[in-house]
Amino acid sequence: MNLAVDLSIAAGLVVLAWRSLAGRDLFRGIVMYIVFGLLLAVTWARLGSPDLAMAEAAIGAGVTGALLMVAYWRLRRISPAEPADPSPRRSHLAAAVALLSTGVVAAIGLAAVGAIGPGGIAGRALVEALPATGLGNPITGVLVVFRNLDTVLEVAVLLAAYLAVRAVLGDRGETLAQPPPQVARLVGALVGVVAPLSVLVAVYLLRVGSYLPGGAFQAGAVLAACGVLLLLTGRLRATADAGPWVRGSLVVGTVVFGLFGVAMLAFGEPLLAIPGTWAVYLIETAMMVSIAVTLMLLFAGAAGLGGGRR
Amino acid sequence: MTAVELLATGMLVVGAAFYLAGTIGLLRFPDALSRLHALTKADNVGLLLVCAGLGLLSGNLREAALLLLIWLLALLAATISAHLIARRALADGVEVEMRERVPR
Amino acid sequence: MSLLLPALLLFLLANLFAGLWRVHRGPTAADRMLSALLIGSTSVAAVLVLAEWQQLPALRVASLLVVMLAAVISIAYAAIAQASAGSPGAPDAEAAER
Repeated sequence: MNLAVDLSIAAGLVVLAWRSLAGRDLFRGIVMYIVFGLLLAVTWARLGSPDLAMAEAAIGAGVTGALLMVAYWRLRRISPAEPADPSPRRSHLAAAVALLSTGVVAAIGLAAVGAIGPGGIAGRALVEALPATGLGNPITGVLVVFRNLDTVLEVAVLLAAYLAVRAVLGDRGETLAQPPPQVARLVGALVGVVAPLSVLVAVYLLRVGSYLPGGAFQAGAVLAACGVLLLLTGRLRATADAGPWVRGSLVVGTVVFGLFGVAMLAFGEPLLAIPGTWAVYLIETAMMVSIAVTLMLLFAGAAGLGGGRR
Repeated sequence: MTAVELLATGMLVVGAAFYLAGTIGLLRFPDALSRLHALTKADNVGLLLVCAGLGLLSGNLREAALLLLIWLLALLAATISAHLIARRALADGVEVEMRERVPR
Repeated sequence: MSLLLPALLLFLLANLFAGLWRVHRGPTAADRMLSALLIGSTSVAAVLVLAEWQQLPALRVASLLVVMLAAVISIAYAAIAQASAGSPGAPDAEAAER
Protein backbone atom coordinates (compact mmCIF):
# COMPACT_ATOMS: atom_id res chain seq x y z
CA MET A 1 0.00 0.00 0.00
CA ASN A 2 2.84 2.36 0.84
CA LEU A 3 4.45 1.55 -2.48
CA ALA A 4 1.22 2.19 -4.32
CA VAL A 5 0.93 5.61 -2.72
CA ASP A 6 4.52 6.54 -3.50
CA LEU A 7 4.36 5.28 -7.07
CA SER A 8 1.15 7.21 -7.68
CA ILE A 9 2.64 10.42 -6.40
CA ALA A 10 5.81 9.92 -8.42
CA ALA A 11 3.88 9.11 -11.58
CA GLY A 12 1.63 12.11 -10.99
CA LEU A 13 4.60 14.43 -10.66
CA VAL A 14 6.13 13.21 -13.91
CA VAL A 15 2.84 13.47 -15.80
CA LEU A 16 2.15 16.95 -14.45
CA ALA A 17 5.64 18.16 -15.29
CA TRP A 18 5.19 16.83 -18.82
CA ARG A 19 1.73 18.33 -19.29
CA SER A 20 2.83 21.70 -17.96
CA LEU A 21 5.35 22.04 -20.73
CA ALA A 22 3.78 20.10 -23.57
CA GLY A 23 0.76 21.20 -25.50
CA ARG A 24 0.05 24.50 -27.13
CA ASP A 25 -2.41 25.98 -24.65
CA LEU A 26 -0.31 28.16 -22.38
CA PHE A 27 -3.07 28.81 -19.85
CA ARG A 28 -3.68 25.10 -19.46
CA GLY A 29 0.03 24.62 -18.88
CA ILE A 30 -0.07 27.24 -16.14
CA VAL A 31 -2.95 25.51 -14.36
CA MET A 32 -1.08 22.21 -14.70
CA TYR A 33 1.96 23.84 -13.14
CA ILE A 34 -0.10 25.13 -10.22
CA VAL A 35 -1.42 21.63 -9.68
CA PHE A 36 2.15 20.38 -9.89
CA GLY A 37 3.03 22.70 -7.05
CA LEU A 38 0.17 21.34 -4.95
CA LEU A 39 1.21 17.74 -5.61
CA LEU A 40 4.77 18.70 -4.75
CA ALA A 41 3.58 19.94 -1.37
CA VAL A 42 1.90 16.56 -0.89
CA THR A 43 5.20 14.92 -1.87
CA TRP A 44 7.15 16.82 0.75
CA ALA A 45 4.50 15.85 3.27
CA ARG A 46 4.83 12.20 2.26
CA LEU A 47 8.60 12.42 2.61
CA GLY A 48 8.14 13.62 6.16
CA SER A 49 9.40 17.16 5.62
CA PRO A 50 6.93 19.69 7.02
CA ASP A 51 9.30 22.64 6.53
CA LEU A 52 9.44 22.03 2.79
CA ALA A 53 5.73 21.28 2.58
CA MET A 54 4.95 24.61 4.25
CA ALA A 55 7.32 26.53 2.01
CA GLU A 56 5.94 24.86 -1.10
CA ALA A 57 2.37 25.50 0.01
CA ALA A 58 2.94 29.18 0.69
CA ILE A 59 5.00 29.89 -2.41
CA GLY A 60 3.31 27.51 -4.84
CA ALA A 61 -0.27 28.21 -3.84
CA GLY A 62 0.07 31.85 -2.96
CA VAL A 63 2.79 33.50 -4.95
CA THR A 64 3.81 31.47 -8.01
CA GLY A 65 0.28 30.68 -9.16
CA ALA A 66 -0.80 34.29 -9.12
CA LEU A 67 2.52 35.37 -10.62
CA LEU A 68 2.13 33.05 -13.60
CA MET A 69 -1.46 34.15 -14.17
CA VAL A 70 -0.55 37.80 -14.26
CA ALA A 71 2.54 37.11 -16.36
CA TYR A 72 0.35 35.23 -18.85
CA TRP A 73 -2.01 38.19 -19.05
CA ARG A 74 0.84 40.65 -19.59
CA LEU A 75 2.32 38.39 -22.25
CA ARG A 76 -0.95 38.18 -24.15
CA ARG A 77 -1.35 41.93 -24.02
CA ILE A 78 1.97 42.31 -25.74
CA SER A 79 1.64 39.52 -28.27
CA PRO A 80 -1.89 38.21 -28.81
CA ALA A 81 -2.13 34.52 -29.49
CA GLU A 82 -1.32 33.61 -33.02
CA PRO A 83 -3.25 31.09 -35.08
CA ALA A 84 -2.37 27.57 -34.08
CA ASP A 85 0.96 26.37 -35.40
CA PRO A 86 1.25 22.87 -36.69
CA SER A 87 2.78 20.50 -34.16
CA PRO A 88 6.36 21.41 -33.42
CA ARG A 89 8.81 19.26 -35.36
CA ARG A 90 10.08 16.30 -33.47
CA SER A 91 13.71 16.74 -32.67
CA HIS A 92 15.99 13.75 -32.41
CA LEU A 93 18.34 15.74 -30.22
CA ALA A 94 15.52 16.46 -27.78
CA ALA A 95 14.67 12.79 -27.54
CA ALA A 96 18.29 11.89 -26.92
CA VAL A 97 18.65 14.52 -24.22
CA ALA A 98 15.44 13.36 -22.58
CA LEU A 99 16.65 9.77 -22.46
CA LEU A 100 20.01 10.87 -21.11
CA SER A 101 18.43 13.00 -18.36
CA THR A 102 16.10 10.20 -17.37
CA GLY A 103 19.04 7.84 -17.20
CA VAL A 104 21.08 10.20 -15.05
CA VAL A 105 18.21 10.84 -12.65
CA ALA A 106 17.43 7.14 -12.41
CA ALA A 107 21.08 6.34 -11.74
CA ILE A 108 21.28 8.96 -9.00
CA GLY A 109 18.04 7.70 -7.51
CA LEU A 110 19.18 4.09 -7.45
CA ALA A 111 22.52 5.07 -5.95
CA ALA A 112 20.80 7.13 -3.26
CA VAL A 113 18.41 4.34 -2.38
CA GLY A 114 21.29 1.91 -2.07
CA ALA A 115 23.48 4.29 -0.12
CA ILE A 116 21.27 4.96 2.89
CA GLY A 117 23.58 4.43 5.82
CA PRO A 118 23.70 5.45 9.46
CA GLY A 119 23.41 9.22 9.24
CA GLY A 120 26.85 10.09 8.05
CA ILE A 121 29.52 12.24 9.62
CA ALA A 122 28.01 15.67 9.10
CA GLY A 123 24.62 14.53 10.34
CA ARG A 124 26.02 13.15 13.55
CA ALA A 125 28.12 16.24 14.17
CA LEU A 126 25.02 18.34 13.65
CA VAL A 127 22.97 16.34 16.13
CA GLU A 128 25.73 16.69 18.72
CA ALA A 129 26.27 20.38 18.17
CA LEU A 130 22.63 21.40 17.98
CA PRO A 131 21.76 21.61 21.69
CA ALA A 132 24.61 24.06 22.27
CA THR A 133 22.94 26.55 19.97
CA GLY A 134 19.73 26.52 21.98
CA LEU A 135 17.77 25.50 18.92
CA GLY A 136 15.57 22.44 18.60
CA ASN A 137 14.94 22.50 14.86
CA PRO A 138 17.92 21.05 12.97
CA ILE A 139 16.87 22.74 9.74
CA THR A 140 16.94 26.16 11.33
CA GLY A 141 20.24 25.22 12.90
CA VAL A 142 21.77 24.43 9.55
CA LEU A 143 20.27 27.47 7.83
CA VAL A 144 21.13 30.11 10.38
CA VAL A 145 24.09 28.75 12.29
CA PHE A 146 26.04 25.93 10.71
CA ARG A 147 25.77 26.67 7.01
CA ASN A 148 24.64 30.25 7.23
CA LEU A 149 26.97 31.43 4.48
CA ASP A 150 24.56 29.86 2.01
CA THR A 151 21.60 31.59 3.61
CA VAL A 152 23.23 35.01 3.63
CA LEU A 153 24.01 34.66 -0.03
CA GLU A 154 20.49 33.46 -0.77
CA VAL A 155 18.98 36.56 0.79
CA ALA A 156 21.47 38.63 -1.17
CA VAL A 157 20.37 36.82 -4.33
CA LEU A 158 16.78 37.87 -3.66
CA LEU A 159 17.96 41.45 -3.40
CA ALA A 160 19.84 41.01 -6.67
CA ALA A 161 16.66 39.71 -8.32
CA TYR A 162 14.83 42.84 -7.25
CA LEU A 163 17.62 44.98 -8.66
CA ALA A 164 17.36 43.08 -11.93
CA VAL A 165 13.65 43.95 -12.08
CA ARG A 166 14.50 47.57 -11.44
CA ALA A 167 17.03 47.43 -14.24
CA VAL A 168 14.43 46.07 -16.64
CA LEU A 169 11.85 48.67 -15.61
CA GLY A 170 14.42 51.36 -16.21
CA ASP A 171 13.93 55.01 -15.46
CA ARG A 172 10.56 55.32 -17.14
CA GLY A 173 8.86 55.85 -13.82
CA GLU A 174 6.21 53.25 -14.43
CA THR A 175 5.34 49.80 -13.23
CA LEU A 176 4.39 46.81 -15.29
CA ALA A 177 0.74 46.66 -16.28
CA GLN A 178 -1.42 45.70 -13.31
CA PRO A 179 -4.65 43.75 -13.56
CA PRO A 180 -7.74 45.55 -12.21
CA PRO A 181 -8.15 45.26 -8.45
CA GLN A 182 -10.85 42.88 -7.33
CA VAL A 183 -13.07 44.79 -4.97
CA ALA A 184 -16.21 42.65 -4.74
CA ARG A 185 -17.66 42.40 -1.25
CA LEU A 186 -17.02 38.69 -0.93
CA VAL A 187 -13.40 39.24 -1.80
CA GLY A 188 -13.26 41.91 0.88
CA ALA A 189 -14.52 39.36 3.37
CA LEU A 190 -11.73 37.01 2.39
CA VAL A 191 -9.11 39.71 2.81
CA GLY A 192 -10.55 40.60 6.20
CA VAL A 193 -10.06 37.04 7.38
CA VAL A 194 -6.93 35.93 5.56
CA ALA A 195 -4.75 39.02 5.96
CA PRO A 196 -4.72 39.16 9.78
CA LEU A 197 -4.55 35.39 9.95
CA SER A 198 -1.53 35.38 7.64
CA VAL A 199 0.30 37.81 9.88
CA LEU A 200 -0.54 35.68 12.89
CA VAL A 201 0.61 32.49 11.17
CA ALA A 202 3.80 34.16 9.95
CA VAL A 203 4.73 35.36 13.40
CA TYR A 204 3.88 31.92 14.76
CA LEU A 205 6.13 30.23 12.19
CA LEU A 206 8.93 32.63 13.00
CA ARG A 207 8.59 32.03 16.71
CA VAL A 208 8.38 28.25 16.65
CA GLY A 209 10.89 27.91 13.82
CA SER A 210 13.68 27.51 16.32
CA TYR A 211 12.29 24.27 17.72
CA LEU A 212 9.46 23.13 15.42
CA PRO A 213 9.09 23.12 11.65
CA GLY A 214 8.88 26.68 10.44
CA GLY A 215 11.29 29.55 10.19
CA ALA A 216 12.07 32.70 8.28
CA PHE A 217 11.49 31.37 4.76
CA GLN A 218 8.09 29.94 5.51
CA ALA A 219 7.03 33.03 7.43
CA GLY A 220 8.29 35.30 4.68
CA ALA A 221 6.50 33.28 2.03
CA VAL A 222 3.22 33.48 3.95
CA LEU A 223 3.55 37.25 4.28
CA ALA A 224 4.43 37.49 0.59
CA ALA A 225 1.30 35.55 -0.36
CA CYS A 226 -0.74 37.85 1.87
CA GLY A 227 0.90 40.78 0.13
CA VAL A 228 -0.02 39.32 -3.25
CA LEU A 229 -3.61 39.10 -2.03
CA LEU A 230 -3.53 42.73 -0.95
CA LEU A 231 -2.07 43.79 -4.28
CA LEU A 232 -4.69 41.87 -6.25
CA THR A 233 -7.52 43.40 -4.24
CA GLY A 234 -6.39 46.97 -4.34
CA ARG A 235 -5.40 47.30 -0.68
CA LEU A 236 -1.83 47.78 -1.80
CA ARG A 237 -0.70 49.47 -4.95
CA ALA A 238 2.37 49.00 -7.10
CA THR A 239 4.29 52.25 -7.41
CA ALA A 240 7.12 53.32 -9.63
CA ASP A 241 9.25 54.58 -6.79
CA ALA A 242 10.45 52.78 -3.73
CA GLY A 243 9.84 54.69 -0.55
CA PRO A 244 12.20 54.49 2.43
CA TRP A 245 10.23 51.73 4.15
CA VAL A 246 10.38 49.56 1.05
CA ARG A 247 14.06 50.19 0.55
CA GLY A 248 14.75 49.45 4.18
CA SER A 249 12.75 46.23 4.11
CA LEU A 250 14.52 45.02 0.99
CA VAL A 251 17.99 45.28 2.47
CA VAL A 252 17.37 44.62 6.14
CA GLY A 253 17.75 40.86 5.78
CA THR A 254 21.10 40.94 4.05
CA VAL A 255 22.36 43.81 6.19
CA VAL A 256 21.44 42.36 9.55
CA PHE A 257 22.78 38.95 8.69
CA GLY A 258 25.95 40.40 7.23
CA LEU A 259 26.46 42.77 10.15
CA PHE A 260 26.22 39.95 12.64
CA GLY A 261 28.63 37.90 10.62
CA VAL A 262 31.19 40.66 10.37
CA ALA A 263 30.69 42.02 13.87
CA MET A 264 31.61 38.74 15.41
CA LEU A 265 35.06 39.09 13.88
CA ALA A 266 35.65 42.00 16.21
CA PHE A 267 35.12 39.68 19.15
CA GLY A 268 37.59 37.18 17.89
CA GLU A 269 34.97 34.71 16.72
CA PRO A 270 35.06 33.23 13.24
CA LEU A 271 33.13 34.92 10.44
CA LEU A 272 29.36 34.45 10.67
CA ALA A 273 29.47 32.94 14.14
CA ILE A 274 26.12 33.50 15.84
CA PRO A 275 26.28 34.69 19.46
CA GLY A 276 23.05 33.19 20.72
CA THR A 277 19.43 32.32 20.16
CA TRP A 278 18.44 35.97 20.45
CA ALA A 279 20.63 36.65 17.43
CA VAL A 280 18.88 33.85 15.54
CA TYR A 281 15.48 35.45 16.18
CA LEU A 282 16.72 38.86 15.11
CA ILE A 283 18.28 37.54 11.93
CA GLU A 284 15.24 35.47 11.08
CA THR A 285 12.89 38.40 11.59
CA ALA A 286 15.00 40.56 9.31
CA MET A 287 15.13 37.80 6.70
CA MET A 288 11.36 37.30 6.87
CA VAL A 289 10.74 40.96 6.14
CA SER A 290 13.16 41.01 3.23
CA ILE A 291 11.82 37.82 1.71
CA ALA A 292 8.22 39.00 1.98
CA VAL A 293 8.78 42.44 0.49
CA THR A 294 11.06 41.18 -2.29
CA LEU A 295 8.60 38.49 -3.38
CA MET A 296 5.75 41.00 -3.36
CA LEU A 297 7.70 43.39 -5.55
CA LEU A 298 8.75 40.61 -7.90
CA PHE A 299 5.08 39.68 -8.27
CA ALA A 300 4.00 43.23 -8.92
CA GLY A 301 6.84 44.00 -11.28
CA ALA A 302 7.19 47.35 -9.58
CA ALA A 303 9.78 49.35 -7.77
CA GLY A 304 7.74 50.05 -4.65
CA LEU A 305 4.47 49.71 -2.83
CA GLY A 306 1.92 52.22 -1.75
CA GLY A 307 -1.40 52.37 0.03
CA GLY A 308 -4.45 51.34 -1.94
CA ARG A 309 -7.91 52.80 -2.36
CA ARG A 310 -9.36 51.44 0.82
CA MET B 1 -11.20 -1.34 17.31
CA THR B 2 -12.57 1.07 19.83
CA ALA B 3 -15.82 2.93 19.42
CA VAL B 4 -13.96 6.15 18.65
CA GLU B 5 -11.91 4.45 15.96
CA LEU B 6 -15.04 2.90 14.52
CA LEU B 7 -16.81 6.24 14.36
CA ALA B 8 -13.75 7.90 12.84
CA THR B 9 -13.46 5.18 10.22
CA GLY B 10 -17.10 5.62 9.32
CA MET B 11 -16.66 9.37 8.95
CA LEU B 12 -13.57 8.96 6.80
CA VAL B 13 -15.30 6.46 4.52
CA VAL B 14 -18.38 8.64 4.07
CA GLY B 15 -16.14 11.65 3.51
CA ALA B 16 -14.31 9.75 0.79
CA ALA B 17 -17.67 8.93 -0.78
CA PHE B 18 -18.51 12.62 -0.90
CA TYR B 19 -15.20 13.36 -2.58
CA LEU B 20 -16.03 10.67 -5.11
CA ALA B 21 -19.40 12.29 -5.74
CA GLY B 22 -17.71 15.63 -6.33
CA THR B 23 -15.25 14.11 -8.77
CA ILE B 24 -17.97 12.32 -10.68
CA GLY B 25 -19.84 15.59 -10.93
CA LEU B 26 -16.70 17.26 -12.20
CA LEU B 27 -16.22 14.71 -14.92
CA ARG B 28 -19.78 14.02 -15.98
CA PHE B 29 -21.81 17.19 -15.68
CA PRO B 30 -22.40 19.12 -18.87
CA ASP B 31 -21.15 22.61 -18.17
CA ALA B 32 -18.94 24.65 -15.93
CA LEU B 33 -21.64 25.97 -13.63
CA SER B 34 -23.15 22.60 -12.77
CA ARG B 35 -19.68 21.17 -12.24
CA LEU B 36 -18.86 24.02 -9.89
CA HIS B 37 -22.09 23.48 -7.99
CA ALA B 38 -21.50 19.75 -7.51
CA LEU B 39 -17.87 20.21 -6.69
CA THR B 40 -18.00 22.84 -3.99
CA LYS B 41 -20.89 21.30 -2.11
CA ALA B 42 -19.61 17.75 -2.18
CA ASP B 43 -16.02 18.69 -1.43
CA ASN B 44 -16.88 20.89 1.51
CA VAL B 45 -18.92 18.17 3.19
CA GLY B 46 -16.27 15.62 2.30
CA LEU B 47 -13.57 17.74 3.89
CA LEU B 48 -15.74 18.25 6.97
CA LEU B 49 -16.11 14.50 7.45
CA VAL B 50 -12.43 13.86 6.77
CA CYS B 51 -11.42 16.55 9.26
CA ALA B 52 -13.89 15.24 11.83
CA GLY B 53 -12.64 11.68 11.39
CA LEU B 54 -9.01 12.74 11.63
CA GLY B 55 -9.79 14.90 14.62
CA LEU B 56 -11.27 11.90 16.41
CA LEU B 57 -8.25 9.80 15.50
CA SER B 58 -5.82 12.39 16.77
CA GLY B 59 -7.47 12.31 20.20
CA ASN B 60 -6.14 15.79 20.91
CA LEU B 61 -8.39 18.81 21.37
CA ARG B 62 -5.83 21.29 20.09
CA GLU B 63 -5.28 19.39 16.86
CA ALA B 64 -9.01 18.95 16.38
CA ALA B 65 -9.48 22.70 16.81
CA LEU B 66 -6.83 23.30 14.15
CA LEU B 67 -8.68 20.91 11.84
CA LEU B 68 -11.89 22.83 12.43
CA LEU B 69 -10.13 26.08 11.56
CA ILE B 70 -8.78 24.50 8.39
CA TRP B 71 -12.25 23.40 7.36
CA LEU B 72 -13.74 26.84 8.02
CA LEU B 73 -11.05 28.47 5.93
CA ALA B 74 -11.63 25.90 3.18
CA LEU B 75 -15.29 26.85 3.26
CA LEU B 76 -14.43 30.50 2.91
CA ALA B 77 -11.92 29.91 0.14
CA ALA B 78 -14.25 27.59 -1.78
CA THR B 79 -17.14 30.04 -1.49
CA ILE B 80 -15.20 32.95 -2.84
CA SER B 81 -13.41 30.94 -5.50
CA ALA B 82 -16.67 29.42 -6.71
CA HIS B 83 -18.31 32.84 -6.78
CA LEU B 84 -15.51 34.37 -8.80
CA ILE B 85 -15.21 31.47 -11.23
CA ALA B 86 -18.96 31.32 -11.75
CA ARG B 87 -19.11 35.05 -12.43
CA ARG B 88 -16.42 34.69 -15.07
CA ALA B 89 -18.14 31.67 -16.58
CA LEU B 90 -21.45 33.54 -16.85
CA ALA B 91 -19.80 36.64 -18.23
CA ASP B 92 -18.09 34.53 -20.86
CA GLY B 93 -21.44 33.16 -21.94
CA VAL B 94 -21.34 29.62 -20.68
CA GLU B 95 -24.37 27.68 -21.83
CA VAL B 96 -26.65 27.14 -18.87
CA GLU B 97 -29.09 24.27 -19.03
CA MET B 98 -31.91 26.03 -17.23
CA ARG B 99 -31.09 29.56 -18.15
CA GLU B 100 -34.43 31.05 -17.13
CA ARG B 101 -33.83 30.13 -13.50
CA VAL B 102 -30.50 31.88 -13.16
CA PRO B 103 -30.88 35.30 -11.56
CA ARG B 104 -29.00 37.99 -13.41
CA MET C 1 -7.05 0.15 10.87
CA SER C 2 -3.46 0.64 9.87
CA LEU C 3 -4.55 0.19 6.28
CA LEU C 4 -7.30 2.79 6.41
CA LEU C 5 -5.21 5.93 6.19
CA PRO C 6 -2.95 4.89 3.30
CA ALA C 7 -5.99 3.54 1.45
CA LEU C 8 -7.78 6.84 1.98
CA LEU C 9 -4.70 8.69 0.76
CA LEU C 10 -4.57 6.54 -2.36
CA PHE C 11 -8.26 7.23 -2.96
CA LEU C 12 -7.75 10.98 -2.58
CA LEU C 13 -4.84 10.84 -5.01
CA ALA C 14 -7.06 9.02 -7.50
CA ASN C 15 -9.60 11.85 -7.19
CA LEU C 16 -6.82 14.34 -7.71
CA PHE C 17 -5.70 12.67 -10.93
CA ALA C 18 -9.29 12.47 -12.13
CA GLY C 19 -9.49 16.22 -11.67
CA LEU C 20 -6.44 16.49 -13.90
CA TRP C 21 -8.46 15.13 -16.78
CA ARG C 22 -10.83 18.04 -16.51
CA VAL C 23 -7.90 20.45 -16.45
CA HIS C 24 -6.70 18.84 -19.64
CA ARG C 25 -10.08 18.78 -21.35
CA GLY C 26 -11.42 22.18 -20.37
CA PRO C 27 -13.01 23.30 -22.55
CA THR C 28 -13.20 26.70 -20.90
CA ALA C 29 -10.76 28.40 -18.56
CA ALA C 30 -13.44 28.29 -15.85
CA ASP C 31 -13.45 24.50 -16.08
CA ARG C 32 -9.71 24.40 -15.58
CA MET C 33 -9.86 26.74 -12.62
CA LEU C 34 -12.61 24.83 -10.89
CA SER C 35 -10.67 21.62 -11.35
CA ALA C 36 -7.74 23.36 -9.71
CA LEU C 37 -10.14 24.17 -6.87
CA LEU C 38 -11.00 20.49 -6.50
CA ILE C 39 -7.37 19.51 -6.58
CA GLY C 40 -6.56 22.10 -3.93
CA SER C 41 -9.25 20.77 -1.62
CA THR C 42 -8.14 17.20 -2.21
CA SER C 43 -4.51 18.12 -1.53
CA VAL C 44 -5.51 19.65 1.78
CA ALA C 45 -7.29 16.45 2.74
CA ALA C 46 -4.31 14.38 1.57
CA VAL C 47 -1.82 16.37 3.64
CA LEU C 48 -4.10 16.10 6.68
CA VAL C 49 -4.27 12.33 6.23
CA LEU C 50 -0.48 12.26 5.95
CA ALA C 51 -0.23 14.30 9.14
CA GLU C 52 -2.17 11.65 11.01
CA TRP C 53 -0.66 8.63 9.28
CA GLN C 54 2.94 9.73 9.75
CA GLN C 55 2.30 11.42 13.09
CA LEU C 56 3.68 14.78 11.95
CA PRO C 57 1.47 17.51 13.47
CA ALA C 58 3.38 20.23 11.65
CA LEU C 59 1.83 19.04 8.40
CA ARG C 60 -1.51 20.38 9.61
CA VAL C 61 0.04 23.83 9.58
CA ALA C 62 1.10 23.16 5.98
CA SER C 63 -2.53 22.34 5.17
CA LEU C 64 -3.56 25.56 6.84
CA LEU C 65 -1.24 27.45 4.53
CA VAL C 66 -2.65 25.79 1.42
CA VAL C 67 -6.21 26.52 2.40
CA MET C 68 -5.49 30.08 3.49
CA LEU C 69 -3.80 30.99 0.25
CA ALA C 70 -5.62 28.90 -2.36
CA ALA C 71 -8.19 31.58 -3.00
CA VAL C 72 -5.42 33.92 -4.15
CA ILE C 73 -5.14 31.95 -7.38
CA SER C 74 -8.86 32.26 -8.05
CA ILE C 75 -8.68 35.98 -7.41
CA ALA C 76 -5.73 36.31 -9.78
CA TYR C 77 -7.69 34.41 -12.41
CA ALA C 78 -10.73 36.61 -11.93
CA ALA C 79 -8.54 39.70 -12.24
CA ILE C 80 -6.95 38.71 -15.54
CA ALA C 81 -10.16 37.30 -16.98
CA GLN C 82 -11.96 40.52 -16.16
CA ALA C 83 -9.18 42.59 -17.65
CA SER C 84 -9.14 40.71 -20.92
CA ALA C 85 -12.76 39.69 -21.45
CA GLY C 86 -13.20 39.03 -25.13
CA SER C 87 -9.81 40.36 -26.10
CA PRO C 88 -6.95 38.18 -27.34
CA GLY C 89 -5.52 38.13 -23.85
CA ALA C 90 -8.38 36.10 -22.44
CA PRO C 91 -7.38 32.67 -21.16
CA ASP C 92 -10.02 31.12 -23.39
CA ALA C 93 -8.88 32.82 -26.54
CA GLU C 94 -6.21 30.29 -27.33
CA ALA C 95 -8.57 27.40 -27.00
CA ALA C 96 -11.22 29.20 -29.01
CA GLU C 97 -8.89 29.91 -31.88
CA ARG C 98 -8.08 26.28 -32.38
